[in-house]
Amino acid sequence: MDIAERTGTLMSWRSFSVLVPFLCGLFAVLVSNLPLSLTNGLIPAPLLALVPIYFWCLVRPDLMTPAAVFGIGILQDIMAGGPPGIWTLSFVITYAVIDRQRDAFAGLPGLGAVLGFATAALIACASAWLIIALYYWQVPLISPIVAELAMTAVFYVPGAYAVGLIHRRMVGPLRSEP
Amino acid sequence: MANGTWKIARRSNAQLPLVIVMALAVVLVLLGKAQGGLFDRARMSMTDWMQPVLSVVHAPLVQFDRWIGSVDELFSVYQENLRLKDENARLRQWRNVAVVMQDRVARYQSLLHAVPDPGVDSVLARVIGRASRPFLETMILDAGSSHNIKPGQAVVDARGMIGRIYLAGSRTSWVILLTDLNSRIPVSVSPGNRQAIMVGDNTAMPSLDTLSQIVTLRAGDQIVSSGDGGLLPPGLPIGTVVEQGGKYRVALLADASSSEDVEVLAFRKPPEQLPSSLELPAVAAGLPPATATPPVFTIAPEPPVTAKPAAPPAASATSPADQADEDR
Repeated sequence: MDIAERTGTLMSWRSFSVLVPFLCGLFAVLVSNLPLSLTNGLIPAPLLALVPIYFWCLVRPDLMTPAAVFGIGILQDIMAGGPPGIWTLSFVITYAVIDRQRDAFAGLPGLGAVLGFATAALIACASAWLIIALYYWQVPLISPIVAELAMTAVFYVPGAYAVGLIHRRMVGPLRSEP
Repeated sequence: MANGTWKIARRSNAQLPLVIVMALAVVLVLLGKAQGGLFDRARMSMTDWMQPVLSVVHAPLVQFDRWIGSVDELFSVYQENLRLKDENARLRQWRNVAVVMQDRVARYQSLLHAVPDPGVDSVLARVIGRASRPFLETMILDAGSSHNIKPGQAVVDARGMIGRIYLAGSRTSWVILLTDLNSRIPVSVSPGNRQAIMVGDNTAMPSLDTLSQIVTLRAGDQIVSSGDGGLLPPGLPIGTVVEQGGKYRVALLADASSSEDVEVLAFRKPPEQLPSSLELPAVAAGLPPATATPPVFTIAPEPPVTAKPAAPPAASATSPADQADEDR
């Protein structure tokens, strides 16, 4: 393989790896919104898309941009079936908060990291609940959104492990220096 | 990762796009409020695209779900059997009563020359997906507009009404359940034929908004669809009134979480044939309809004054619209 060919391969790989966080977000939306339930609808599906958003917002915010979060939110809105824009705005608000507090969130170790993510999920769920309340001008039930929040927090550990693996294998070697 | 081992990349001046994106998201919400069906086409395309996969994956999941449920039921089989036997005996009695009443109603309708209820066509569909999101309770059927399914049609199972068609793609359709936050169904409370609106609020039992303050509800009253609006056929069984915390709610007959095969009712109330404008006031007053020919006025001697009220002028009949214009 000559230098030009290798350079071309490297460039195409680099451009693909730039898209990896966004694609992971889209994939998480698709998986979490499959209309299938093992528990007869008793347990809601988690907001899996928040995991890549949170993770790459802390680690590589240049790859998880506000526009990418907007795109992931739109797909979540389409797949979730609720009123348009609810999850898009919730995700963007959550992203804005994480972005402003990046140093605080990124420095959390162990259980603190899970609590940090739970805080982010709380912001997303509370925003969605508030927007829905304003949208319909009535107070929706809190229990379904609390159940969603709990499930999202529970799924952070396996989710973060998966995106961490993807990051190390596909994105990490190419990450930019601070 | 968040344990501090990752290098944190810095971004220069990223606040501006964030503000723009947030503004766009707010605009999207407002746009969605103004135009609720903004994403409907995309949603249906996605669901139609996933339909083969959902059909294949759903069956084993249902089996697994039943298996999990049956483990729990093993401990209450004996009591459940006794309860079902008792219920079956009572239902047989009610069935005999219903057959006699049905026969009697048919006889009365024949005697009174009653207008028969319009026929309702139905499409049998299979549930291939369910979604229980915080703000949406829905199920997905494997039939769509290619099977003449249209938004607004009622979805029922063997026990009663489940919901209405919300979106209809070519091969799939979304059902908005009666328990959903967006569900509003005009219902009739029996006995007494009292009208109310059944409002879903994402709980298992929708609430009832009575249209009149003087209407009183009692636990045990039956709820059926009233047919107001012409989209749903009247008389569809829905549930029973129960009292919960001082408020009346509806315990639904159908269990959407366990329904597998459902019927989509293609009900369309035939449009009423309004009388022509020439006939309107005269016919309403019980007089023979006016003819299209212009009336001939003849001079006749004045009749003696009597106490009878004057009949409405049939010959110079005007349409209500004309009358309204004159009033204005």
